[in-house]
Amino acid sequence: MANEEEIVPTEAPGVHKRRFWSFRPQSDRQAGDAIVANFILHWFPAKALKDSLSWNYSMWLGTISTALLGLLIVSGLPLMFLHIPSVERAYASVKDIEYVVTFGSWLRSVHRLSAHLMVAAVFLHLVRVFLTGAYKNGVGRGQRREWNWVIGVGMLLVTLFLSFTGYLLPWDQLAYWAITVGTNIASSVPVIGERVRELLLGGRVIDQPTLIRFYALHIVVLPGLLGVLFAYHMWRIRKDGGLARADRVAAQKRTEVPTVKTKTYTLLGIARGTSPNLRAYSVEPSDVSVNSIPDLTRRICIVMMGTIAVIAALAAVVRSPLEEPANPLVTPNPAKAPWYFLWLQELVTDTTIKIGGFTINGAFVGGVLLPGLLVGVLVLWPWLDKSPASATGTWLPRSRRRQNAVFLIICALVLVLTFIGTFCRGPYWHLFWPWQPWPQLPTRI
Amino acid sequence: MKDRREFLIKLGIGCGAAAVCTQAGASLRSLVPNVSYDPPTTVKLGAPNDFPQGMKFLPDERLFIFREGFTFHAVSAVCTHLGCTVRAEALSQPETKTVGGQPLKLTHQFSCPCHGSRYHGDGTNYAGPAPRPLAWYRLSIASDDGQLVADLAEPVDHTFRLTIA
Repeated sequence: MANEEEIVPTEAPGVHKRRFWSFRPQSDRQAGDAIVANFILHWFPAKALKDSLSWNYSMWLGTISTALLGLLIVSGLPLMFLHIPSVERAYASVKDIEYVVTFGSWLRSVHRLSAHLMVAAVFLHLVRVFLTGAYKNGVGRGQRREWNWVIGVGMLLVTLFLSFTGYLLPWDQLAYWAITVGTNIASSVPVIGERVRELLLGGRVIDQPTLIRFYALHIVVLPGLLGVLFAYHMWRIRKDGGLARADRVAAQKRTEVPTVKTKTYTLLGIARGTSPNLRAYSVEPSDVSVNSIPDLTRRICIVMMGTIAVIAALAAVVRSPLEEPANPLVTPNPAKAPWYFLWLQELVTDTTIKIGGFTINGAFVGGVLLPGLLVGVLVLWPWLDKSPASATGTWLPRSRRRQNAVFLIICALVLVLTFIGTFCRGPYWHLFWPWQPWPQLPTRI
Repeated sequence: MKDRREFLIKLGIGCGAAAVCTQAGASLRSLVPNVSYDPPTTVKLGAPNDFPQGMKFLPDERLFIFREGFTFHAVSAVCTHLGCTVRAEALSQPETKTVGGQPLKLTHQFSCPCHGSRYHGDGTNYAGPAPRPLAWYRLSIASDDGQLVADLAEPVDHTFRLTIA
């Protein structure tokens, strides 16, 4: 007993003496430690470039998307307790959420608005990355930014599929006819189409197996997939040397001042010994970089809390629509998809091709071929883009003027089709001016 | 010695990958239904004489039943573009057209609310994205109770008519 009492704990490496981490570091050392020893922040660099933090460069669209994803998860949880994924009861349970549950309509509105804005934010993030050439490799050897672009395109698709599976869950008219159209697009693929449709529906008709499949996809499979992709996306940003903006800073610094041999920022946090044991180039001299705590974390807080505030306030004002209960007997007239799919609805309307006596369904051309081609070109673009490395991480550089123009034209076409689908299509999908009244038609035959 | 080690490492990785793939495949296969609980495709529609002259829409079967005297035919209401239910609009002037070598009085035309496909009264597509005419289905008389029966799994060509005595 006496011997045991004599043992006094000594200083040991890797032991963090406080229960939490410091949010108010008093020195650079503490600032680095506050990142590396922080469970939530450890995947951030200890030092961030001032240029990378700029509002104008990234517009923080990725952070906004992340905030929206967080909101979707948090608001989805209570909804999960309230929604009943059964064809008999789903509609009534959503109606209860909307009209009976205290704060239910606000929660549903938060979830719905976040989903809509997330589609928009992720799309704008993609536009920003394209226009700044941020998928390009700059000065660093071994960078693989093109792969992060591919992951990003994948995350956009998962986001769209998440929203698609999400608006099926109320099992109203919108849901029923969206599944009808969506799965018929799948079945228009030659050879495998019918089997894909059967796998999605869990049968040949839309019924309970369909709802439970889309429910499982929406609640577990797709969010899980998005989480994994998100983690890899963030890790790759670090491993490619930060935002593409960093390459520009590095390139400019190297020409201006001789490189300073110093320790890397990550080692500031890791090396607790007497001196750092590795020397490397630093692209973050102190005049262009700041400590991540508090400068990076402050901005993340501003963006995230701003997003939350905007959504929370909007959700108190904007109600979520709920159509009539799903009715296989009556197709609504017009039957419209949500706004971000209306350009696709326009495409499948306009692309049935007749070559001689041979007809190709617009469902396949506009629903599979064209979007597939678009995604394919997007994915391959980093390898097709031959602009110089100096065009990395800067808005609308001269050397990328032509491809940026083509990209913007395609984006504009998508937006124009979306506009037409949203405002100019009426009963029987006829064209109307937005201000033109629709003819009164009987709702039932 | 080195070859053997490499071989065993590759064998181990290969076996692991094969095991994971097989189990993933098994999990996916479980999602392909083996039993269909779909509604039957052969449906009784009611006594032929209960059908009015002209057209009657049956929403459950998504079917238009046309009757002219004692001659019947059935046209599907499922749009051939993306599967929405088309709506019938009565023509102000019925017109007669030769369909499948026989004259057919057309009283309606069809429009799809989803993407604006349009069909003549015999189901022929003439506008919008629809790639094919609406399907016609075989009609017959049930041997047990004399009801009109539609076979939704058997499309027929436009010469088909069911005439009852």
